[in-house]
Amino acid sequence: MADSYADASADANAVADGFFDDQTLKYLGVGLSSLFALGVGLLLLYILATQVDYGLIPTILPQFLRAYGLVLGIVVTGSVLSVSAGIFVGLARVSKTRITSGLAAIYVQFFRGTPLLFQIFVVYFGIPTLWPGTFPVQDWGIPTAIIALTLNHAAYVGEAVRGGIGAVHDGQMEAARSLGMGYVQAMREVVIPQAWRNALAAVGNDQIILVKDTSLLTVIAVPELIQQFRSVNSATFDPWTPLVLVAIAYLSITIPMGRLVEYLEERSDWGGESQ
Amino acid sequence: MSDSDRDSAGGPGDHALLEFEHVDKYFGDTHVLKDISLDVEDGEVCVVIGPSGSGKSTLLRCANRLEEIQNGEIRLDGRSISDPDADINRLRQRIGMVFQSFNLFPHKTAIENLTLAPRKVRGTGEAAARQRAEELLAEVGLSDQADSYPNQLSGGQQQRVAIARALAMDPRVMLFDEVTSALDPELVGEVLEVMRGLADEGMTMMVVTHEMGFAREVADRVVLMDEGRIVETGAPESFFENPETERGEQFLSKLL
Repeated sequence: MADSYADASADANAVADGFFDDQTLKYLGVGLSSLFALGVGLLLLYILATQVDYGLIPTILPQFLRAYGLVLGIVVTGSVLSVSAGIFVGLARVSKTRITSGLAAIYVQFFRGTPLLFQIFVVYFGIPTLWPGTFPVQDWGIPTAIIALTLNHAAYVGEAVRGGIGAVHDGQMEAARSLGMGYVQAMREVVIPQAWRNALAAVGNDQIILVKDTSLLTVIAVPELIQQFRSVNSATFDPWTPLVLVAIAYLSITIPMGRLVEYLEERSDWGGESQ
Repeated sequence: MSDSDRDSAGGPGDHALLEFEHVDKYFGDTHVLKDISLDVEDGEVCVVIGPSGSGKSTLLRCANRLEEIQNGEIRLDGRSISDPDADINRLRQRIGMVFQSFNLFPHKTAIENLTLAPRKVRGTGEAAARQRAEELLAEVGLSDQADSYPNQLSGGQQQRVAIARALAMDPRVMLFDEVTSALDPELVGEVLEVMRGLADEGMTMMVVTHEMGFAREVADRVVLMDEGRIVETGAPESFFENPETERGEQFLSKLL
């Protein structure tokens, strides 16, 4: 049954476009992707073999490790805050109270509609000048990082959560209410757990972007990873050694995060194929 | 039912268990329920039939205020459901509702679907809620599926869990909104059988359905709706054999 269908569709394709049949397309895909991977792999090997100064690594490793720790701290704080705030933004977006949903929409428009770099500048340069007298915070860079990343990513998480809530069938709320649950209780027990599963992939994607967004903090001299690249590069004129360290540092955060999202998705599988 | 039956039904005063009194309902400009008055007595199985778009599902949904009405009043055991100040969460605990699309909670197992509302709404302890849920699952023949997720159950099994979920709140009346319409034909029987069992136990039921066999066999009273009005009510034998109105005759002739 399934085979005959596949054959029929393959024949149909061959006849219909007369250009690629399914088999040719498959070989073309394998060929092109292998070729690409081979090219990139060779280039990488060449760089690692001839361009990286392994003797330099012990000297610059301590400053990279400090930067790595700082980035991790900013990421963990920013993630917790932006996801928590984002859930509230998403809930506000679906509120039946016009004022609440309207204000949430404006919030999202602003923080999604202006560059993160601009928002960092607003917080870093703008806020201290508004202070009557001397701004009390000495080291404003890291607080700026956390504030700007949280405000920016709460907007994206909020949109993901809004979409997740929208994808929950109306009947779920009705069923919960018909059992005597209040609106808040029904949201908490029934709608939000399902909305969260729906939103998980989009939220995970956004949080991985948050990790990479810490690189922008180099412009306000937060000693993060790109800042270390710049300091090593300007001292040694060696681009590849610090670049490789930067790549390893980011990937060692973002790849496990991707895995964590997959794990969370699998864990809320609820007994099989999605409804 | 005669008036003397109604008086002997007990409860405070001489009212029916579920009363619709001159109910009007509009969707925008569309007048979907027109001056509906209907009493469902304690222990009665009231089956509402009629062509699609006749307002029968809307009437049922008004009975636990999933839809608001614009005129008239709906009362459960003498207490207004339609009053804006009514404690609707409290009243809904006494009104079980079963939906065409089951609406089980997909992130909860069958037994968790049953225990959620008793625990969270009524504050029943975990152990007591589980015990009651196990009894109810046994009653609908699904003891072996307690730990299955809705996704792992057939449509008929899901609908039986949904009935048990509504029963877990010990409702005074059960509302069934075309509960077999989304099922494969071979799964309809098992759901109707559960409903028949409930009727036999004396549960007060208001059933919107297209299953005329069920209406004929289980109903104490059949209500025919058309274009937002109640056209005819009567005992199933007399209604199906000998409808009083022309509209009733027409409706039945289309079925046969």
